[in-house]
Amino acid sequence: MKWGTTAAGLVLFFAMLACAISGDNYLIRMATTFAMYSTLALSWNLIGGFTGYPSFATAAFFGLGAYASGVMELHGFSLLSGVVVAGFVAGFFALALGALVLHLRGHYFAIATLVVADVVREFANNAESLTGGGMGLNVPLRHGSPHSQALFYLLAMSLCAIVAIFAAKGVFKSRLGFGLRCIAQNEAAAASIGVNARAYKTAAFALSGVFPALAGAVYASWVTYIDPTDVFDVLLTIKPIVMVLIGGSSIWFGPIVGAFVFIVLEEFVWRHLLNFHTGSLGILIALLIVFLPGGLRSLIHPHNVFQRLRRARP
Amino acid sequence: MLFLQVMADGLLLGGLYASIAAGFSLVWGVLNIINLMHGSFIVLGAYLAYFANQRYGINPFLFFPVAGAALFVIGFVIQRLVLNRVIGKTVLITLTLTFGLDLVLSDLMLQAFGADYRKLVLHPSLGLLDLHLVVIPLDRLFATAASLAATCLLWILLRSTRLGRAIVAVRMDAGAASLMGVRAEAVYAVTFGIAAAMAGLSGSLLAAIFPISPLMSGAYLAKSFVICVLGGLGSVPGVIVAGLLLGMIESISSIVVGPNFSTTISFVLLLSLLFFRPNGLFGRRGFE
Amino acid sequence: MKIQFFRYRMAGVIAAGLLAFATTPPALAQTLKIGAPLPVTGALSPEGTKLRQGYDLWLGQVNQAGGISVNGKKYKVELVYGDYQSNTPRAVQLTEKLITDDKVNFLFSPFGSGATKAASAVAEKYGIPMLASSASSAEVFNQGYKNLFGLYTDNSTLSEPLATLVHAKAPGLKRVAILARNDLYPLSLANEFEKSVKKRGFSVVYFEKYPIGALDHAAEVSEIQAQKPDWIIVTGYINDLILVRKQLADQKVTAPVLTMINGPAYKEWIAATGPLAENVTTASWFHSVLNYRSTDIFGSTHNFVKLFTAKYGSEPDFTQASGAAVGVLLQEAIQRAQSIDPDRVRAQLQKGGFKTFFGPITFGSTGIANSYIPPVMQIQGGQVKVVYPNSVKSAEFRLGVK
Repeated sequence: MKWGTTAAGLVLFFAMLACAISGDNYLIRMATTFAMYSTLALSWNLIGGFTGYPSFATAAFFGLGAYASGVMELHGFSLLSGVVVAGFVAGFFALALGALVLHLRGHYFAIATLVVADVVREFANNAESLTGGGMGLNVPLRHGSPHSQALFYLLAMSLCAIVAIFAAKGVFKSRLGFGLRCIAQNEAAAASIGVNARAYKTAAFALSGVFPALAGAVYASWVTYIDPTDVFDVLLTIKPIVMVLIGGSSIWFGPIVGAFVFIVLEEFVWRHLLNFHTGSLGILIALLIVFLPGGLRSLIHPHNVFQRLRRARP
Repeated sequence: MLFLQVMADGLLLGGLYASIAAGFSLVWGVLNIINLMHGSFIVLGAYLAYFANQRYGINPFLFFPVAGAALFVIGFVIQRLVLNRVIGKTVLITLTLTFGLDLVLSDLMLQAFGADYRKLVLHPSLGLLDLHLVVIPLDRLFATAASLAATCLLWILLRSTRLGRAIVAVRMDAGAASLMGVRAEAVYAVTFGIAAAMAGLSGSLLAAIFPISPLMSGAYLAKSFVICVLGGLGSVPGVIVAGLLLGMIESISSIVVGPNFSTTISFVLLLSLLFFRPNGLFGRRGFE
Repeated sequence: MKIQFFRYRMAGVIAAGLLAFATTPPALAQTLKIGAPLPVTGALSPEGTKLRQGYDLWLGQVNQAGGISVNGKKYKVELVYGDYQSNTPRAVQLTEKLITDDKVNFLFSPFGSGATKAASAVAEKYGIPMLASSASSAEVFNQGYKNLFGLYTDNSTLSEPLATLVHAKAPGLKRVAILARNDLYPLSLANEFEKSVKKRGFSVVYFEKYPIGALDHAAEVSEIQAQKPDWIIVTGYINDLILVRKQLADQKVTAPVLTMINGPAYKEWIAATGPLAENVTTASWFHSVLNYRSTDIFGSTHNFVKLFTAKYGSEPDFTQASGAAVGVLLQEAIQRAQSIDPDRVRAQLQKGGFKTFFGPITFGSTGIANSYIPPVMQIQGGQVKVVYPNSVKSAEFRLGVK
């Protein structure tokens, strides 16, 4: 079905282009958010989908990237150098973190990664002289009209997503990708056929940290004000996971479809459902997990869904 | 004397922590589910106590068993209807599901009760125990005592009653337990109910001391995590010791490095434990 | 039959015509749109409600009077609300949406320092003046933006009068302990207190920050107790201050002066602390006991309070008053400019000299108001009394907090 996904990819590309040309700032903003979500979902998929290690550290990397780039820009550097630095900082951080947590399995791995975001957030909160602490960081405004700025950020965020797509494809086709798939199936068996599980896992984890950081860097410049509570928000970790659950963990198509569906739902809820925003997200998650564990693919085979409705046991 | 007072503060707090975390540890240990709704259960228990006090003048120290019973029912129902479908599934599934359910519960409480902080004010105030070297607020003392008592009761339940033994059996090996005639599903539901009850009664006791708001649930959950891992999964004595220990650590570190690092310290402690000794003080190898 | 039916139809048509004629507005009034992002849901929803009450009172008054007259035309005012769910990134998004999609002419800020700081960048980007109802920290106004105007005076105006008062009334006091929430406004305020007390020769024997999610303050209280301070200053939000007050009492900490900001000014705080509220001092930018005469649509503080109480059943606190005040300021600026052009209105705002029910408002070079002294208040007998400045005080400052 390769031509299918390629065709869909082209459609998506033209849709984004249409948003950009439309001149409607709302559409441009939505498209930029979509690119950001796609980047996060694609990155998570590398460690969560390919390797089967449920990382809850996405927010940590995103926030780290946002602050790294924000601080750089505050000291007069360009966004590009901010993004590059963000990528390196997060990459090294992920490598170091990986060395500490990747030997953990299941729940412990999940908890450790979940807690990391909180720890990094607290450090950001306390390193006042560098990050502004609880008082937040104002990133210098770009020059140019608001419209041109909007287009610029759409382009920047889309580039992050495109790089993430190519990285995912590259990893998948390589020995690394093969090794990761083996690890996901059965780590002990993988080791016995010569897969260097430790090295491969670490590489995947490091990569899964780089792209959220790039997105975070662009984000900081886009919204011009960041503070620890915003950029280390646990929802930034959960949402990409939900997106992959929706769209499936294929190489790149699933996460992107998931991101698209998610953003449509989120916008629809925000505009129309008056008060119950996070609650609605929660209901979405619960319904998804209980009735559609295979993501949207389950809808293609609806009788599975009905079976789940009838049975109460797993 | 400062040091003694700080130790006393820490122990009083730690006793409360024990019952906060006990239910969480039980669910993780027995059902192998990390229940991210735990903090919200605590807050719900607190609200029940608050309204009971406001509308009917019931003292929270008398009300807490009622809060426990109410939460038992809620927990039982949630487990039977929703969580039962994911027993045995991957961490990703269970964790994300409880996260989603917590979003719903939290938002419902926010809608129903508002984000304003409520304070349950006891009339008349219970007063202080002045021991010259330390001063102990009596409401804290009672809350901590009740909390420790409830936790000990839980331990006795697990060790001595049939139900308790069934729970422990299922924790050790669900397959073998069902071969011995234990209905695992019923045990799961009851266990989750008990855990929710512990959360509810803790919340009720907390309401006597702290301001209440749905926004507090995250903080209680975070504490439960640390205590659970520190004490070892599924071990009630572990939870008691770990709770007291955490209370002391937080108190002392507040003096030594300053209060703004207290949440960081608990997290760093958690991470260190995960890196070096994930089984904690009293845990046994088994559930990963 | 047919003729009767025809008659009924004619009657109907004539009736409809008359109705249409009667309800067609004689001339279409222009509309002035103001964007008002609010935290309707989420953690800050109580504050969002208060702000909105202030907005709505002003809106009602303005439109009742026919709107704002500009160059002979009457502009009906429309407030375009939006919910940013107490989430700062959403506040930024919403502000941009209000400008680009709803095409608002002017903006009111979101609630609080963080969101205001974030949204001000958007306002600056588009050149739309934004009136900030609830931000007072210098850190919010230090970006060099031209479009942000803050109603509240700088945090130092909360610390300086208090320091002056305490120093004057109790010259023997020397030791000060400061406990601050690690958050933009409370920390900024605490820093200002440190400066103010040091200037007057006090010594700061304790200064610590507590984290945002702190459940317990026992250790900090123990440490403060050990230092035996004369003046304890605590900053944070209402829930933090309820807890700290209680824990201070739990450990029998007493002092001649106890100052807590932001909390004691709210009736909810007084209700929650009961007898512990006695003699606690606080400061805030507005109190209903003030008595300014103004040239705005309310005419005086007294009248504003009267109208607010009539509409909502209780006296306004400073957040509610701020909502109405920003409306009043914008109205005054537009009337002076006799234009709704953002550049002209901005120029008028920059000129300042507005006499409002909230107080005399002139903005400094960074956009923050610098023209009035926020009253210092003390809880006496469960009531909020103003104790400083002398021109507006309703009671004498008392020492001693148990």
